[in-house]
Amino acid sequence: MALITVRFYSLWRSYLGADSTPLQADHIQDALTQLEEKFGNQLREKLETAGVHLEGKIQDYSLILLNGTTLRNLNSTALKEGDVLHIFPPVIGG
Amino acid sequence: MSPTRFLTDLSLHSLLYYNCRDSCEGISVESMTVDKDVRRLVAQSAESEAAPDGKTCLVINLKTTASISRSQGVPPKEVEITALKQGIIPSRYLRNIGTIGLEGQIKLLQSTVGVVGAGGLGSTVIELLARQGIVRLIVVDNDHFAEQNLNRQIMSTEENLGEYKVLVAAKRVKEINSATSVTTFRERLTRENAQGLLSGAHVVVDGLDNLPSRLVVEHACRQLAIPYVYASIAGFSGQLMTIFPGDVGLSSLYGSASNTAPEQGVETRIGNPPATVAMIAALQVQEVVKIITGVGTPIRNQILFVDTREFAIDRIELGR
Repeated sequence: MALITVRFYSLWRSYLGADSTPLQADHIQDALTQLEEKFGNQLREKLETAGVHLEGKIQDYSLILLNGTTLRNLNSTALKEGDVLHIFPPVIGG
Repeated sequence: MSPTRFLTDLSLHSLLYYNCRDSCEGISVESMTVDKDVRRLVAQSAESEAAPDGKTCLVINLKTTASISRSQGVPPKEVEITALKQGIIPSRYLRNIGTIGLEGQIKLLQSTVGVVGAGGLGSTVIELLARQGIVRLIVVDNDHFAEQNLNRQIMSTEENLGEYKVLVAAKRVKEINSATSVTTFRERLTRENAQGLLSGAHVVVDGLDNLPSRLVVEHACRQLAIPYVYASIAGFSGQLMTIFPGDVGLSSLYGSASNTAPEQGVETRIGNPPATVAMIAALQVQEVVKIITGVGTPIRNQILFVDTREFAIDRIELGR
């Protein structure tokens, strides 16, 4: 199992009260499953308190990068020691 | 490395080009033919004034600049550039010079900036660029001011609701800086018209509120080989990156398939408050100033996050 770091940014950091968390996982999907188990309810409850109701898992309403590359552009889902997952909400207003 | 010329928009009097592939040294200014009478009049009109550091410097005021401009039949910007080249500072830029230098101010006075969207981010960007001394703005927006704009769109007032944003912006710029001209396009930027509308710009700034339009602007800027200053906001948070033609860009966040990218984000739920808009627009203007003057380092190939709820600033290096 690879020891990786998940870093939260923007609103997610504020609502989760944490900059980052370590996880052990071999594949991105393992990491996202653990992330959901650990933080999913907390994030949705915080959002609900702010009047924002979201369905689904964290990964459904977040932008996620692995070492700076969006998961949508990745060829491999395997994780290695020291990888960093960056996770934040889509911010598109102006 | 030899300079890479991204620009082909040449004026009669100046040749501007970027020296920036691996590094950005700003726009270079080559020789400019200055009318001898203008130069003489500027030198004769210069006055001594205490600079911010207490030392004495030579300045030329707004009234004199306008008078020479009228009498010699040259635009105010030519008078201002002529002054700066002689070490005489137009008073209006006195507080700029310590930051960007005389040459930096000259470069701004020879630059055109495109602003797509004249609402939240865009109107603050336009106001600040006019004050900074950008000589020409291209403003694209097909919308008019509505009540829900009043909270953050700095050019909207109770009086001008219903007026087109580009027309209000042009009027406002004229009030701020007579040396800055505004070319307005009261239409929506599309993949078909983008390059035509933005032609002549040395930098384009994002004042948009949706992702599909940003992807159009990014594509157009890559085609035109000019930098694009992207930014967006929601709630207490904003993000920004400057995208040069060969840099990574929005696909680093949203993937290469534009049809899977969301149109809007959490701002639809957590709002667009005024201070966040002003803060991020100000950072965009700083990027423009850095790109044009070569002072400082633009935020390239990385995304900047600013979150003022708990106050955190982060940068992530982006891959393709």
